[in-house]
Amino acid sequence: MAGNLRREILLKHFDKIEQIVDNIDYTTSTNGKDITSGEGNDIITDLPSIKNASSRRQSSTANTVDPNLEKWSTYFEVNKQITFEERNFKFNIYYTLPKSLDTTSIPIFVFHHGAGSSGLSFANLSQTLQEKLKGQCGCFSFDSRGHGNTTVIDPEQNVSYERDSFIEDFRTLLEYIYSNILSAIPKEKLSIILVGHSLGGSICTFTFPVFSIELRKHITGITMLDIVEEAAKDALNKVDNFLSMTPNVFLSYSDAINWYVRHGLSKNRTSANIAVPSLFRKFSSGKVVRITNLQVFRPYWNTWFTDLSHSFVAVPTSKMLILAGNDNLDKELIIGQMQGKYQLVVFQDSGHFIQEDETLKTALTLIDFWKRNDNKNVIIKTNWGSAK
Amino acid sequence: MDADMDVPMHDAVSEQLTPTITEDVTSNNGDVSNGSGDYQDIDFKPGSSGIADNKSSTPLQLTPNNINDLDKWIEQLGRCEMLSEDDVARLCRMAVDVVQFEENVKPINVPVTICGDVHGQFHDLMELFKIGGPCPDTNYLFMGDYVDRGYYSVETVSYLVAMKIRYQHRITILRGNHESRQITQVYGFYDECLRKYGSANVWKMFTDLFDYFPITALVDNKIFCLHGGLSPMIETIDQVRELNRVQEVPHEGPMCDLLWSDPDDRGGWGISPRGAGFTFGQDISEQFNHTNNLTLVARAHQLVMEGYAWSHQQNVVTIFSAPNYCYRCGNQAAIMEVDENNNRQFLQYDPSVRPGEPTVTRKTPDYFL
Repeated sequence: MAGNLRREILLKHFDKIEQIVDNIDYTTSTNGKDITSGEGNDIITDLPSIKNASSRRQSSTANTVDPNLEKWSTYFEVNKQITFEERNFKFNIYYTLPKSLDTTSIPIFVFHHGAGSSGLSFANLSQTLQEKLKGQCGCFSFDSRGHGNTTVIDPEQNVSYERDSFIEDFRTLLEYIYSNILSAIPKEKLSIILVGHSLGGSICTFTFPVFSIELRKHITGITMLDIVEEAAKDALNKVDNFLSMTPNVFLSYSDAINWYVRHGLSKNRTSANIAVPSLFRKFSSGKVVRITNLQVFRPYWNTWFTDLSHSFVAVPTSKMLILAGNDNLDKELIIGQMQGKYQLVVFQDSGHFIQEDETLKTALTLIDFWKRNDNKNVIIKTNWGSAK
Repeated sequence: MDADMDVPMHDAVSEQLTPTITEDVTSNNGDVSNGSGDYQDIDFKPGSSGIADNKSSTPLQLTPNNINDLDKWIEQLGRCEMLSEDDVARLCRMAVDVVQFEENVKPINVPVTICGDVHGQFHDLMELFKIGGPCPDTNYLFMGDYVDRGYYSVETVSYLVAMKIRYQHRITILRGNHESRQITQVYGFYDECLRKYGSANVWKMFTDLFDYFPITALVDNKIFCLHGGLSPMIETIDQVRELNRVQEVPHEGPMCDLLWSDPDDRGGWGISPRGAGFTFGQDISEQFNHTNNLTLVARAHQLVMEGYAWSHQQNVVTIFSAPNYCYRCGNQAAIMEVDENNNRQFLQYDPSVRPGEPTVTRKTPDYFL
């Protein structure tokens, strides 16, 4: 009897979820276009059909943790939520602190992911940096507003996704990390490197000038991963096509991972195994549903990249831009590069998610960037005066 | 991911590379190996084109036959028509036997017209010769960066090399940081060779030839000319003469610096934001000019909107000869004439007008941001 009751509740619950799922998955069902008939769009046929999945209903369990799933704890030491009432968000952060404080300079890599991604996009990179620097570095990553396990405190309040909101979040968070989590590290050893992917690159660039003077003194440089203002604006103009081809629901985490790998959005399965599941929440049916509704961001897109190239070239710290594929710089970035204002690196074999696809090369390049630009590390050797 | 990725970063080509930096011994030192000169792909090994396999022990003497071929090639290239692969091979073999005998510091007499980056903008190079006067009537010194970014790197470098062989004492072509295997794989020359010739052979020939290009020139013992700038390891011009220049542009050290460094408003030596070479201040330029009894360092490497720019109170001049760089930067180009009396004059010019100006098309990213 009790078993029957439980079963009934479960089924009711499932129906509700299915409604939610149908609502969320509107890009494939309610925008009026029959995408499955689109020419050459065989990608669309990969969309999980919820209707056909009803036969699986019986076998689905309420197990929400996939035992085969990669865990954040493989990549970071700490995962916790930090509440900022004034931001109306509880931020989910991951970090690993340096193993010892013996070195003269301690690099602290602070990552900001792009739109639609999550803090675990940097999981593999963080682990690789730890390995390569033998634990003598710190790594911080977090889920930005609207992403991953970062949650709104009061849903009644209006939530904005314009650039200034992300900037203020990042400023607040890093000032908090600096004053609280990094407080045990002697200040003179701190060498903070901001690393932003895509939208995150824009946030890093625009947050730098608003950090306190105190914190800025310890920032060694900024690295942007695969973001060029002109290309980003182009991409947003055509993003509907991308969104219409990107499913919001998969039958399982492994389906989602496979889809990302198969479509070249993730070229490195090790990275995909930890990064992709964090974009989805598992429901009792076993299906996984995308957490971030990318359409919600639409009204704010035009704020995200405005004046980025000019601002990046002008920001008064050491700068590196790593691009995937080819150097598709816009005018401001070409002029800046040809005037020697920043370091440009191109990973020709990488997809957009450079930190996931080319983890090792990214780690080595970041370490070089830190070593080169950290004034605690560098003495310029010269033989001038020794001649004659 | 490949386990051996630690070693060479050769396809992670970058405008970075590691400078002559000494690390504080107590600082972090992970087992990071910087990009070495190693090439994973045996085909990309320096020398694999064979153009330098039978180098002559004496400088090339032009024969009527050679002259005939060269004149034919120059005429063809002048119409922006590329040479056949076989002709490029012959061109490069002849060129090796010319440039290998030039000194690291090539002495040059006045008058001469000094030019900066060209970057495959062939039609603008033709404009340059119109503005400056045809070679060999006018003597020319080019300070590197013939290839990459523009759409006619093949025609541009073929033309300049053919002119170099034909008029050995009238034109000098120095090496820029883009005359390098690593850089050309990212910034266009490699892809252009592949697209125009169907294989990497022509790219291999030219990059093998680049290894022999002289790296600096000295005009009338007064103007030191090079692509990038000064090096903390080069205090005297004699120290440049001691370098072994026949190699891929190294990631660090004096030869790298000469091709990568930039003048800066800050004094002394600085870490270059480019990731290779250094920045040097006015105190350094003044000291270098004084020590070597020079009046000026002339260099290229940086885009300057007017085509030329003085710095360090006229101790250094930057010359950039690619107008509207990348067909979109809106800059003027310039060349610097130095006459018999060492008077200097800048000639500025705008992009050449031509039908079918290439439009810059860019692939739209297929990802969210």
